[in-house]
Amino acid sequence: MAASSSSTSSDGGYNNPWVEKYRPSKVVDIVGNEDAVSRLQVIARDGNMPNLILSGPPGTGKTTSILALAHELLGPNYKEAVLELNASDDRGIDVVRNKIKMFAQKKVTLPPGRHKVVILDEADSMTSGAQQALRRTIEIYSNSTRFALACNTSSKIIEPIQSRCALVRFSRLSDQQILGRLLVVVEAENVPYVPEGLEAIIFTADGDMRQALNNLQATFSGFRFVNQENVFKVCDQPHPLHVKNIVRNVLESKFDDACHGLKQLYDLGYSPTDIITTLFRIIKNYDMAEYLKLEFMKETGFAHMRICDGVGSYLQLCGLLAKLSIARETAKAP
Amino acid sequence: MLDKKLLSLEDDDNLRSSRSNTKSKPRSSAATTTNPRASKRARLSGASLVDKIRLSFEDFDEALSGFKVSSGYERSKNTDLWVDKYRPRTLEELAVHKKKVEQVKLWFEESLDFSKDGLRNNVLLVTGQAGVGKSATIHLIASILGVTVYEWNAPIPTIWQEHVHNSSSGLKYTSKLDEFENFVESTRKYGVMASSSTEGIKAPVILLIDDLPLANGRHACERLQNCLLLLVRSTQIPTVILITDYDKADSSDQTARSMEDAQSSLERAGALKVAFNPITKNSIKKALQRICREEHCKVTTMEIDQMASASGGDIRHAITSLQLFSVKPDLNHTKIKSPRPGMDDSYHGNEQTMYSGLDSGISSCFGRDETLSLFHALGKFLHNKRETDNVIVSDCSNSLVHDEFARLPLKMDAPEKVLSQAHGQAGRVVDFLHENVLDFVSEGAIEDAWCVSSYLADADLLLADLRGKMSGHNKTEDVPQSAGASVAVRGVLYGNKQPCSSRWHVIRKPKLWQVEQSSMQTKKNLREQRNISYEGSRVADISVMATEYSPVLKWLSYRASPDAFAGMGEETDEEESEISEDDEIQDW
Repeated sequence: MAASSSSTSSDGGYNNPWVEKYRPSKVVDIVGNEDAVSRLQVIARDGNMPNLILSGPPGTGKTTSILALAHELLGPNYKEAVLELNASDDRGIDVVRNKIKMFAQKKVTLPPGRHKVVILDEADSMTSGAQQALRRTIEIYSNSTRFALACNTSSKIIEPIQSRCALVRFSRLSDQQILGRLLVVVEAENVPYVPEGLEAIIFTADGDMRQALNNLQATFSGFRFVNQENVFKVCDQPHPLHVKNIVRNVLESKFDDACHGLKQLYDLGYSPTDIITTLFRIIKNYDMAEYLKLEFMKETGFAHMRICDGVGSYLQLCGLLAKLSIARETAKAP
Repeated sequence: MLDKKLLSLEDDDNLRSSRSNTKSKPRSSAATTTNPRASKRARLSGASLVDKIRLSFEDFDEALSGFKVSSGYERSKNTDLWVDKYRPRTLEELAVHKKKVEQVKLWFEESLDFSKDGLRNNVLLVTGQAGVGKSATIHLIASILGVTVYEWNAPIPTIWQEHVHNSSSGLKYTSKLDEFENFVESTRKYGVMASSSTEGIKAPVILLIDDLPLANGRHACERLQNCLLLLVRSTQIPTVILITDYDKADSSDQTARSMEDAQSSLERAGALKVAFNPITKNSIKKALQRICREEHCKVTTMEIDQMASASGGDIRHAITSLQLFSVKPDLNHTKIKSPRPGMDDSYHGNEQTMYSGLDSGISSCFGRDETLSLFHALGKFLHNKRETDNVIVSDCSNSLVHDEFARLPLKMDAPEKVLSQAHGQAGRVVDFLHENVLDFVSEGAIEDAWCVSSYLADADLLLADLRGKMSGHNKTEDVPQSAGASVAVRGVLYGNKQPCSSRWHVIRKPKLWQVEQSSMQTKKNLREQRNISYEGSRVADISVMATEYSPVLKWLSYRASPDAFAGMGEETDEEESEISEDDEIQDW
């Protein structure tokens, strides 16, 4: 199956991951975080980029922004004037002291207002020793080299470096923003789809553009058609509709049905962690009374804690449903 | 300019010859001047002879390391970082507290006074958190007094792999610590570098060490400390050592601790310590306003205010943020200029002024202090505004619930959405809510307080695992995180049945943090004590230190002190106060 699909899609040129293929190359095209992106846009036009730290959850366009910015700033000089290191590269203390410093000292003729750029992706995975070594380099060579760091949590960057950089925060993309981009890709790749399929992809992605595109491509190359069922088959998550039914049954005091639904899921081989993660997200978005939502979330959180402690049994899941039912009964109108 | 270039060319030759003379000396020991900013300043203000010569040296150095020599002359207006461009040039512009500056200046004058030999304090230790102007102060005072600053600059090392690859060719791998040791050794023996003696003029010189090598592990730590001790005790040149403090939660970190150890050992060796405090908000504001004037950028005072408080006393970060912030795309102009009326006055917290109702749209994305962006969201949660009129019971599920548990619909987006917009971390949110929520529960509604507290406690438990370690972004860790945050926020919203009428309250910083910080401080002190009294042995457990070791030590010194220092009543007083301090700590 996999072989045949790869051979058929290779007739449309490369078999690139769509994440790469549709990665915006201009800062303007970046989806979401309008305020931050519009500032980067001006910097791309005017030059003189300050040292930057971009922080935010995965799949929100941090790396894309930096790469696009560097491309726009440096154009044809990109190859020689940009040093890109990510977590897969060796970024130990001696590499920072040697490679980055060498690069900072390298002479590249650039138009005024342009500087060499060092891109450190996933900078929060650098050891604090390596970051310490970076500290002086940032300062000494600031008139020829600028740094752009991307990370998930800015607190893992040591303070001296935070102090030398302007911090830009990225937040999760909204469902509409992801949908907009998905529609562009779907159009370009001629993917047959139904709207529910895209909805399912957005649900599985949870604000992560990269995952959305990956799931879309996986579904397409696996089944050639994007509908709800295929998406959840590919992503191998418990079907949200199924989980939603469980929650509805609990709310309607049909405990037996709820347990039955849960048993079905469990028998399909989903791990309790998967089930409870989906359950939590369903509850988060389910329209119910405020008190119930609060109690449900609390109990689900505790159940998740127990499961993470190693008690990942079916009994815990059933117990959770029972607790949800008790909460439901307590709040019930007489 | 031509003259200068010629001069520099000649000097290059001179220097080259002098370099070749001293070639036997390893290059690593020669501290090269790396102070491009000072040189630029010199270029701008018609330089004295000394300056010119120094300048040429630097040009030489720059050429050596592959800089464009010309870049220094015709740098156009907007290619510099503002942090460099608006480096303080006079003492008035320096945002550091006057007293500290005076202290540093005094040290400079004393240590450069060659007339009185003998007991001079040759080493100054400057500490402070990142970006409070430690090195700026040193450079500025040095330039005012006409002192040349030499910095130790570690040479570029061989990468370990290359070393392994070429192990036969004789390329040696030296760690930064090795190089630092070499450097200290050579400065002790030879004083500063040959280059200054070739000038023939005896310009006063100080040595600046900003880049202490990282010491990992006990052995390396001890080596670094010994090295520093040696430097303090025997150096001939006035030396300034800069150490950055890490006062935040990561001080359990190994590197931070090793720096603290180094600090205390330096002090014991007789270095003069000047601790810089975080820069006050007003000074930062003043500096930012000055830059704004000079750059002609339109930033409202309110935004400057906000930026200054978001920087947390870090002026460098404030200026960098301003540079980014001043890059204003046109489409946002209208948005920026319409802060909500009535919300823009400030409120005084117990320590800092906090802002609760600012337009969170723009500025919240910037600044180091994450807490600031939270206030908007916290205000929403705590005030708990709900629809009162024309309530339509749209969802059937709501009608199923008993009256006692029913609540009116919220006047805001889903709490989770508000949270994610505020970039809030769950732990912080819970801390803040816990600290502040009781102000917002109406008098006498004890049931509400019960309810809120129990939910907050649950949230705390849910987040308990995350507190210790830094949370990653795994899916599995996501659930307790968001569950905790949701339970806390929704618990507060739900439990606070009759919120107070909407008068203003200050949103305080959690006291809990202060407690944590002071407990950390005490632990640090204990650790230091241990180092002082027993260089060699290491008692691993803090609790042992607190309960057995330090009381015994105190008891011994208390008994010893009356006989040994009969007249010194103050000493014992101090001791007693220390004891009482310790008792408090043990209560926690």
